[in-house]
Amino acid sequence: MSQELSFTHSQFAHCESGVTSTLFSAYGFKISEPMAFGITSALTFVYLPFVKVNNLPLIAYRSLPKSIINTISKVLHVTMEKRSYKDEHQANEELKSLTKEGKLVGLQTSVYYLPYFPKDMRFHFNAHNLLVYGMEGEEYLISDPVFEEAVKCSQDGLTKARFAKGVFAPKGFLYYPKTMPQSVDMHSALKKAIVKNAKSMLTPFPFAGVKGMRRLAKKIESLQTETNTRYVKNYLTHIVRMQEEIGTGGGGFRFLYAAFLEEAKTYGLNAEVLTEASELIVKSGNTLREFALYCVEGSRKIEKLDTQKIAAKLVEASEYEEKAFRVLKNL
Amino acid sequence: MKEIIEIPHEPNATLDGIQKVMYAKNEQGEFERYNYGSSVEEFATQVAVEEYETLKQECLVRIKQGLSSPIEYFMYENRMDLPTLASAVGMFQWRVKRHLKMSVFQTMSDALLLRYADVFSLDLFYLKDFR
Repeated sequence: MSQELSFTHSQFAHCESGVTSTLFSAYGFKISEPMAFGITSALTFVYLPFVKVNNLPLIAYRSLPKSIINTISKVLHVTMEKRSYKDEHQANEELKSLTKEGKLVGLQTSVYYLPYFPKDMRFHFNAHNLLVYGMEGEEYLISDPVFEEAVKCSQDGLTKARFAKGVFAPKGFLYYPKTMPQSVDMHSALKKAIVKNAKSMLTPFPFAGVKGMRRLAKKIESLQTETNTRYVKNYLTHIVRMQEEIGTGGGGFRFLYAAFLEEAKTYGLNAEVLTEASELIVKSGNTLREFALYCVEGSRKIEKLDTQKIAAKLVEASEYEEKAFRVLKNL
Repeated sequence: MKEIIEIPHEPNATLDGIQKVMYAKNEQGEFERYNYGSSVEEFATQVAVEEYETLKQECLVRIKQGLSSPIEYFMYENRMDLPTLASAVGMFQWRVKRHLKMSVFQTMSDALLLRYADVFSLDLFYLKDFR
């Protein structure tokens, strides 16, 4: 490869948008994490009671794994090299030869098998993204967006993590950009992305967007009469983990999106509308954080559990988001 | 109506000293990344970790009663649920569910047990004799 990679490890709020930001910046197209997150319309809310994870419903605060990587190539009109593997040996050989060429590549992995993760954080979450930037002996040099510093990982550990089974099984998924964007019309790309995100948050489908938040709030209210307190405790903390931990913290996806809307102002979009929406989404983020606190308080002192109070907080957040996205829909 | 984003600085033992980052506004009102620590996150993680410990302890009692098989114990030990384990060993869920019973476990062939032992990174004999 002719061009030099100007790679620096950075820590980010969310793995997929963080990896995308570092990867594209290293290949010559500077893009911030909020921009990578927003331009791919990655903010969402989904509550699927009929899909179970450890017997608890699937709840997500951002789009499906891989969607940022898949969408960004469409939005910026770039070609990504994407490979999945059946054979672990072949996957390793190709990764080795790519790192020898000096290429920076993204990988999808399972958190559970990454030996450098703290023990308490290792769960079977198969959609963790990281970057490999070289090798030292038999160890891979890794830029993991969750960590403050770059880390190292043995080939065995990394292979296990790349070939974990289960939901969203990574199948050795590897990716890097092959071409770089040429004169992108950011103004129209951003407008499209924001309107698309607004529509998805205002969808009439009852399990997604603001409707999904209210549906989950109803479910929380119904937990008041549930006699299995262990289930209630697990349920409430599960919501918090899905909101705070899988990738980012403190209603973090909302703050990330608010930061994106602020950045979008520099591309000549309606600044007034963006400011208003950004403030509302910050409010929602703060409210979601209070909501998480109430969930934890409720599970700590289950005898004092007030599910109406918890549910009301989630409804409040959904109201801010509805307002914000109604404004953004007509951007 | 400027809304402030507070940055918590609470201990979180589950992170082994790592600090994660979040976006918040600086004094000029621009977004920046900040390190934070959240006891709310800490509690939620601890509940999930403890739940697997409880499941393991309950399973040990059932193993002694001859009800549950060691496979069920190691499923929890590896923080798996039934769909994850079934996918890992490449079998249908109903089949794996049967293997969680001691009565079925005792009739399983070594070849079949080995598929579980591999997933759990265990020695076959250790899995067979685990009580």
